[in-house]
Formats: sequence, structure tokens, C-alpha cells
Amino acid sequence: MATKQAPTRQAITLKGSTNLVTEFFKYAANTILFQRGVYPADDFHMVKKYGQTVLVTQDLALENYLEKILKQVNKWLLTGSVTQLVLAIISKDTRTTMERWVFDINLVEQPESGDGPAPAKPESEIQAEIRNILKQIVSTVTFLPVIDEPTVFNILAYTSESADVPADEWVDTDPLAIEAGKSQQVKLRSFSTDVHRIEAMVAYRYEG
Amino acid sequence: MSRVDPQLSTAKRKQRTQVFTSHMAHASLERQLAALQTAKIDLESKLREKDVQIDRLEGDRRWLAEREQAEREEKERERTEREEEKRKSDTEIRSQRNAMRALREEFADLEDAHSTLSRQTSQTIAQQKAEISTMSRQLTRLQDQITEMQIIADDRSRAFETLQSQYDELLEAQDNTIARRSGEDENWTIVREELHRQASHLRSVEAANVKMTAELTVLRQRNASVEVLREQKRELERKLTAAEALNEKVVKLEAELEAARREREEWASNSTTPSRTPVSVTQSLSNLRLKNARLLEEHGSNVALLRRREMELAESEEREKELVNTCTKLEKEVEGLKDKVARADQRSALAEREVGFLQAMITSFTAEEAAQEDGDTTRVDSATRQRVHDLEKLLSEYKENSAKLEQQISDLGGDPASSGDMRPRKQLVEELEEERDRRIKAEAALKASTEVEEKHLVQIDKLEQTLFELQGEIGGGRHLPPGVRVLSLRDNPASQWEDLSRKAMERVKSENEALLKRLKEVEERIGTGPVNHGGEELVPRQSFEVAVQEKEELEDALKQKDKRLMRLKQIYAAKSEEFKEAIASILGLKLAFYPNGQVRVTSIFDLSASFVFQQAKNDDTGMTMQLVGAGEDSPEEVDQLMRYWVQEAQCIPGFLASITLECYEKSKRNA
Repeated sequence: MATKQAPTRQAITLKGSTNLVTEFFKYAANTILFQRGVYPADDFHMVKKYGQTVLVTQDLALENYLEKILKQVNKWLLTGSVTQLVLAIISKDTRTTMERWVFDINLVEQPESGDGPAPAKPESEIQAEIRNILKQIVSTVTFLPVIDEPTVFNILAYTSESADVPADEWVDTDPLAIEAGKSQQVKLRSFSTDVHRIEAMVAYRYEG
Repeated sequence: MSRVDPQLSTAKRKQRTQVFTSHMAHASLERQLAALQTAKIDLESKLREKDVQIDRLEGDRRWLAEREQAEREEKERERTEREEEKRKSDTEIRSQRNAMRALREEFADLEDAHSTLSRQTSQTIAQQKAEISTMSRQLTRLQDQITEMQIIADDRSRAFETLQSQYDELLEAQDNTIARRSGEDENWTIVREELHRQASHLRSVEAANVKMTAELTVLRQRNASVEVLREQKRELERKLTAAEALNEKVVKLEAELEAARREREEWASNSTTPSRTPVSVTQSLSNLRLKNARLLEEHGSNVALLRRREMELAESEEREKELVNTCTKLEKEVEGLKDKVARADQRSALAEREVGFLQAMITSFTAEEAAQEDGDTTRVDSATRQRVHDLEKLLSEYKENSAKLEQQISDLGGDPASSGDMRPRKQLVEELEEERDRRIKAEAALKASTEVEEKHLVQIDKLEQTLFELQGEIGGGRHLPPGVRVLSLRDNPASQWEDLSRKAMERVKSENEALLKRLKEVEERIGTGPVNHGGEELVPRQSFEVAVQEKEELEDALKQKDKRLMRLKQIYAAKSEEFKEAIASILGLKLAFYPNGQVRVTSIFDLSASFVFQQAKNDDTGMTMQLVGAGEDSPEEVDQLMRYWVQEAQCIPGFLASITLECYEKSKRNA
């Protein structure tokens, strides 16, 4: 019975976990865009989420853009073909990459032991982890270099070669690297569901 | 006078000068006053202007304030009006809504009424149709009757006509034959009678007609009631069919009842003549039943008993097990106690032996005492007593010792050889040793493994650091893992910005081109004018500025280059000077290089001894020096040396060295 039940439960948790991760990306991207001043602060409004206040954009174009990306990312997550998501902040004038917010997506390995599936992680715990990451993103303002020029952003998805890519919408692109000698990085917290483990990191350009 | 005068005159002069200066000062002060007055007037006028301006501004301000006030009031009024209107509209809306609700309700009522009316009308229509059909049927019947009546009436009229004609004929006959009046009278009576009969018949027919119409109305009414009755009949028929089914059932039931009655009667007839056997059978049956019940009861009680017994059995088994356990325990205890008893026996035997020994001793002593009852006895007695006392003390000590040892043995778990389930102590000790060895080994292993672990931890730390750095490489986007594609939406904010700026650039470019074109046109148009002479073209200001900037940059670069070159020259000159000085101090020769490649060599000891060398290019040997000329007032020995060293030995360094020596000695001699 246990072996029969396991796959369905697995399928349910994969879908649920994918939705959770996708939602997390939405709020993380919004928080970064607000905190780093990529869009004016007036564009954002407050929303209750994960038991705290999160700022979400009201810019329709930006909302559509994020929605489109997250939809595709959700599909990729279900097939397990996306390994990394990067939010790059680029200077408008010099076109150099200022910051790269990297989210590594790892599949959690299920224990192979025969004593059935591991007990599901309570959602409250996952939410607490997500809350901590968002708080950390907010607190990074204290050590990241001040950006005092107009910037623009782009979201990159690192996928496997075999991934199913809608060719008319998505294109191969430059990884928007930061110069080797001028790059610093800080590892942020991570969170995990029963299926996915998300590790966050910020790499930034720093000319000391 | 002239004596007195000087002072006076000086005083006067002073006074005059003072007067003059005061006058001047006065004049200047007056001037200043005048200037100040004018300044004051200016300032006053300015002040007045300012006042006027201020007044004007004040007025403007007041006007504006009034305007503002008015506007505000107007706004207020408008707002109140708006509010009023809004309130009105709200109330209107509310009333309209109420009206709408009422209308809807009315509508619903009307719809209901409509539906009921339509139902009624349809019913009435159906009724009327039915009536119409019956009416039409009656009508046809009545028409038939009417046609019959007409036929009868026609017959009557025809008969009347014939009678008339007969009457006419008879009248004629009467006219013709007055004579035959008497006969005619008879005829007349007959005719009158006939007429009377006819009229009465007609009247009766008419009465019948009236009666029939009355009957017809009655019949019509009846017909309606008949329809109703028919309807009722149909209903009743339907009921009847149901009733028939019931009837059938009733019949069946009656039959059954009948059968049952008959049976009962039969039974009754049978019971009236009871036989012997059934009674006995029933009795036996009841007996058997009772027995059965009793047996069942017994069976139940037996089963309960069995269960109880089984339970008891299980309990007893458990008890037995417990007892066996306690038995084994007790046996062990018994064995221990036996050991103890054996030991106690041993002890008692020992004590008995001691007692025997002591008794023997006492007897021997008493014997001795008896034997030596003379003067020595008291001494011996005291000695022996002392000895006995010592021995007893010793004995008690031994006993104590032995008790202690026994206690120790029992503490250690009884006699190592005797205890049943316990292993001998030696074995235990051995095992203990083994355990200790094992423990030491394990500790050593633990230490080794902790060391290894520490090493591993250090390695892990290092690896984590490198991992972090490598993650930074990936995070910074400088490294792309193999088999990975980097994708982005085609329509993203960055590309939008890029497109925007590119568009702006292209726009500017096109504008620039258009402007250049326009410029050319303008040039062509004013090509004959005085501005354009000698093929000079108008240059756009932007590109001119760019060119100027470029020029400045280039000039800067040129200046820097010049500076560097000069510095290099200076350095070179300083170095060459140093070099020359070094040669002069080491070799005693001053060197001067000419731009044409010649070198002049002068000895520092004799400045008149100078020679000029030139580089000679030989085809094979490369470069050699060649003596070109010598100083004018060179010493006499120089010729000899020159001949020897230069012409014969072909060794210029040797020549120079000998010259140096010569000059040195000469200068020394002169000094």
C-alpha cells in the first residue's frame, strides 16, 4: 500500500512545491527591485504575505513581464530543467552589470531507505525560512554599494540543454558577468521544501 | 615792522591757510551736504516709489485675496450645490429604486394574474368550443326540423292555394249559378269547416313549433348537463376499472376466505373428533422441547464453565511458571545458604576442635597441677594462666581475622569455586584485563579517528572556501557550467532600454544626416556669395568642436613627448659626462666626441698633447680607430712613439698608454 501511495503523494508535493518556489521568486524579485531602487518606490504597494509586509509592484508592464517569466519557470520546475535563476541589475549608462542575485535550484534527494517517504516538512517551517530570506534581502542594503545612477534589470534562467524552450519568446543570451577582479559575493540563507532546495546569493561589483 | 611782522605774517599766513583750508573744508562739506541731500532726495523719491509700489502691490494683494475669497466662496457654494444635487440625486435614485422594486412586484403580480387569466381563458375557450360543437349539432338538427316544417308549410300553402282556387271557382260558380246557391251554401259550410279545420291545424302547428323551440332550449340545457354527466361518467368508469381490480382482489380474498373458512370448518369438524395419538405426540414434543431447552442451558453453562476452567488453567500455568522461577531463585538461595552452612559447620568444627584441644590442655594442666601441688604451684599456675590468656587472645584475633576474610569472600560473591552460575574469579579478572586492553585500543583508535576527523574538518573548511569562491565565479556569471543554456525573455526591460537608446541614436544620426544634407544645399545656394571663397566648406559646429578637442589632445601629447625627449637628452648628457669623467680619472685621457664621428683624445697631464681619431670602416674586421691628426705643439718623442705604435705595431691603446706615461713624467719634471 505504501509503495502504491507514494508516487501520488510525490506528484502532489512536486506541484505544491513548484508553486511555492514560483511564488517565492515573485516576492523575492519584487523585494530586490524595491530595495535596490530599480523602480521608483511609488510604484510599489504593501501586501501581507508570509506573515509580514511585502512590497509588490503596481507597474502593469513589469507585472506582466514577471508573470510571463514565472509561468515558464513553473513549467521548467515541473520538468526539473532549470538550475538557476539570476536577477541582474545593469547600469543604464555604462551597461555594466552592478549586481547579480543568484537563486540556485536543487532537487532534494529522497532518502532511498525502505521505511517509506520522509515526513512532510510543515508549511509553517518553509514559510519561516522564506521570511528569513526576504528579511535578509532587505538587510543587504546595509553592505551593498550605494547605487546612484539609473539602472535597469534582466532576469536570466539557467536551463539544461534538453529543456523545452518556447523559441519565439526566449533567446540565448550573454550571462551578464561581473568583471573578475571587481566581484564580491555574499551567500544568503536558503530554504527547502520536500522537493526543492533554493540557495540564494548576491554577487556585486565593488571597486575598493 | 619787518621784525614784528614775521610772526604776525606767519600767524596771518597760518590763519589764512587755515581760513582757506576751513573754507575748502566747508566747501567740501557743503558739497557733500549737497550730494547727501540729493542722495537723500533720491532715496526719498525711491522710498516714495517703493511706497507706491508697496501700496500697489498691497492693493493687488487685497484684490487677489478678495478674488481668492470670492473663488473660495464660489467653490464652497458649488460644493454645497453639488452636495445638494448629489443628495437629491441619491434620494431620487433611492425613490426610483423603490419605484422600480414596486413596479417589479407589480409586474410579478401582473404576470401571475396574466397566467391565471390565460389559464382561465383557455379553459373557457375549451368550454366554449365544446358548447359551439353541441350548438352546431343542435343547429343542424333544428335546420332539419325547419326544412321539414317548411316542407309541411309548403304543402299547406299548396293545399291553401288549391282551396283558394277551388274557392274562386266556387265563387264563379256561385256568380254563375245563383240558383245553385242553396247547394253552394252547403258547399260554403263545408269549405268554412274545412277552413276552420285548416286554421286550427295551422294554429296547432304553430303552437307545436313554439313548444318545440321551448323544448329545444330545455334540451340545450340538458345537453350541457349531459356533457357534465358524461364527464362524470368517464371519471366513474375510470374509478370503476380501479374498483374492478379491487373487486377481483376482493373476490380472490373472498375465495381465500372461503377456503380458509372451509378449512377451519374442516378443522373444527376434525377437532370435534380428537384422536389419541396427536395428544401424546404433542406432549412428547413439548417434553422434548423442554429437554432441548434444558440441554441448551446446560450446554451454555458447560461452555461458561469450560471458559472459566481454561482461564484458571492459564492462570495456574502462569503461577506455575512463577513458582518455577521462585523455585530456581530459592534453590540458588538454598545453595548459597548451604555454602554458608558448610562454612559455619567448618567453623564450628574448628571451634570444637579448639575446644577439645583446650579441654585437653586444661586436663593436662589440671593433671600437672595435681602432680605438682607443692610450693611451685602458684608460680606455675600464674604462668599457665598467663599463657592461657595469651592463647585465648591470639585465638580471638584469629577468629576475627577469619570472620573478616569470610565476610570479604561473601562480599565478593561467595567462594569462587563453589558458586553455581557465577564464573570463577580468575576468569572474571582475565576478562576484566581483556576489557581494559580492548578499551585502551579503542581509545587509541578513537584518538586516531578524531585526528583524522580534524584533518577532514580542515579539508572540508578549505573545500567549502573554494566552493564558495567557485560559486562566486558562477554567481558572478564568469563561469558557465557545461550543458547549461542561459536564457532570457526576448522582451525584457534591459533590451527595451537598449532598443530605446538605439532608437534615439538612430534618430540623432538621421537628423544629423538630414542636417548635413541641408547644409550642403545651403552651401550650394550661397556658393557664389562672399562667405564661400576658395572652395572653403561650412563645417558643422559639432564636428569642428570635436576636431578642436582632438587637436588639443594631440598638442598635449606632443608636449608630453617633447618633455620626455628633453629629459632623455639631459639624462644622456649627464651619463656621458659621468662616463667621460670616469675614463679621465682611470686612464688619464680626456675624450671629446664630434658630431661627424671623430674623437679627440687629450692627456690630462699635458693639454697640448691631443690626437684626433676617426672610425675607419674595414670591410672584414668591422670598426677600428685611425689616427687622423695630432696636436700642433706636441713633444718630440711623440713622433717616435707614433711611428712605433701606430705604424708598426698598429696598437693605438699602447700608443696612448706610452703617451700618458711620457706626459706624466714631463709634468712631474716641470713641477
